[in-house]
Amino acid sequence: MNIKKLGRLSTPYLVWLSMLVLVPLLMMIVLSFFRTRGVSFVNAAFTLENWSTRLIDRSVQVALMNSFQFAGTTAVIVFLVGYPMAYILARSSFANKFVILVLTIIPMWSNSLLRNNALRNLFLSQNIVNDLLSPLGISFAWNLTGTKLAVIIGLVLTYLPFMVLPVYTVLEKMDKSLLEASMDLGANKIRTFFKVTFPLSFKGVLTGFIMVFLPSFSGFAVPYILGKGTFVVVGSIIETSYNYNINFVSTLSIVLVAIIFLLIFTVSKVDKEGESFL
Amino acid sequence: MGRKLIDLKGITKLYDGEAVVDNIDLYVNENEFITLLGPSGCGKTTTLRMIGGFEKPDAGDIILNGVKVNDIPPYERPINTVFQRYALFPHLNVFDNIAFGLRNQKVPKEEIEERVTAALKLVSMPQYAYRKVTLLSGGQMQRIAIARAIVNRPKILLLDEPLAALDLKLRQNMQYELKEMQRKLGITFIYVTHDQEEALTMSDTIVVMNKGKIQQIGTPTGIYNEPKNRFVATFIGESNILTGTYVRPNVVSFMGVEFACVDTHFEPGETVDVVIRPEDLDLIDPEGARLTGIVTSSVFKGVHFELCAVVQDKEFIIHTYENRAVGTKVGLKVDAYEIHLMKVEQSEH
Repeated sequence: MNIKKLGRLSTPYLVWLSMLVLVPLLMMIVLSFFRTRGVSFVNAAFTLENWSTRLIDRSVQVALMNSFQFAGTTAVIVFLVGYPMAYILARSSFANKFVILVLTIIPMWSNSLLRNNALRNLFLSQNIVNDLLSPLGISFAWNLTGTKLAVIIGLVLTYLPFMVLPVYTVLEKMDKSLLEASMDLGANKIRTFFKVTFPLSFKGVLTGFIMVFLPSFSGFAVPYILGKGTFVVVGSIIETSYNYNINFVSTLSIVLVAIIFLLIFTVSKVDKEGESFL
Repeated sequence: MGRKLIDLKGITKLYDGEAVVDNIDLYVNENEFITLLGPSGCGKTTTLRMIGGFEKPDAGDIILNGVKVNDIPPYERPINTVFQRYALFPHLNVFDNIAFGLRNQKVPKEEIEERVTAALKLVSMPQYAYRKVTLLSGGQMQRIAIARAIVNRPKILLLDEPLAALDLKLRQNMQYELKEMQRKLGITFIYVTHDQEEALTMSDTIVVMNKGKIQQIGTPTGIYNEPKNRFVATFIGESNILTGTYVRPNVVSFMGVEFACVDTHFEPGETVDVVIRPEDLDLIDPEGARLTGIVTSSVFKGVHFELCAVVQDKEFIIHTYENRAVGTKVGLKVDAYEIHLMKVEQSEH
């Protein structure tokens, strides 16, 4: 089979891609410039208010700020926790690294809503662990629900594997002779880490950062459940406005897509060889 | 040759309880080009890695300049390594790769600039300073790897099969360049290879290893002309090895015939291994020859022909400039000084 024939195999994919991604995207762009009833264009009126007054509305600004804050903090914490995890795992001489890796992934198999609801229970002053321990005189009352900390803990626990996996992969396939070369040339273990190991694993970190940042930026379930609805995020505005103002929802979604594309574009600039996941 | 620089005393390294390096004793002098030669798995690379500090010996001492260095990590040893697959840092350009060691030593900026430029010149790649290392060819990467090591002015340079990945022509050129470089810099080179020709070309001293043990230490000519045992004789160059009996000083008997030889230090009646190099066998008229055989194959090798001749059911390899047709009867002659006798080792076979 020559390359042209092989290329034809991608046709179904291209059809689906355009139907499910491009067309809706174009719809969103069009909708964002009108005032309509749902997706019906009867009595549609052209307007720029979605892109002007509404977008700079205080609640939207706060939501964008909150989303940024949650996603940024989460990504940084996940990096600080996930990198050492991946590093220790990759360097350990433990025979069955795969088992440990699977253990970090297994929580992903249960529904994240369920997990976060369970977490919410733990953050209440009357939680299951406290009920069990209080007869022993041990208090396990946190009462974190509704705080930013609770939301961030939830996001970190949800997205940790997305950092551990790409970083682990990069570290695992790293040529060990490079580390020996570094030590041979007079760099001690710490210097070798900062001069060789970390720069060479940076692509994995970048991939992980994006894979954590994006869903925690656009998602609303975790802030909703663990924040008791105290914090508006972009996702929650989209969710609540969906039923009565699809036009502004389109605008917000386009903003999200734009931010996401900007991030990926930046990464592809840094990651020229395209060796990491994206 | 200079004074003793590094001394390995009774070094043993075990992997899963099996000795990869088995109680070896070896010393290296200053300014020496020493080669550890042996088949893969003979322990030569492990020995090198112990000198470099990447592995710790399970027994024995490594003494460098009179100081025991067993527990000193690689980054504190005055030793640099050229790795088999070069191990250049892909995230740094050529200049930064070479400057890596100097920066670790906190050498001033101007001096780094100077020394890196000099090192690039030495490996004849001055114009490549700001090239990405990933864009270099194998031969160029090799040169940069060498420059990166010698720029630190180590006392000892370890080279782990550095030419194995290069093609034949390039390999031969690099052999001369390396030897030349070693002479010019006055650094001790410890070189590991499985290529006997490479070892013979470059080394001052060759250490032949097999199964974790040193078989023989000597100069290239010494090892070639007077192999100590069957292993060395077959591993270095081609050999005809026969079993013979030492009759009395200067006389040995094999294939039912007595030959004059130059060895004198065996017991009369002792069984010995007799080594005759293929180029030392001369073809003569079968009439009156002490050994006669029938040519069974003839292969043209460029400079010489490689003949196989069967003499009393034993196959001989002969290198000769004159061809003989297959099936021809030939006589063989060998001079006394070209017959080399070796003690028979009990452990062999």
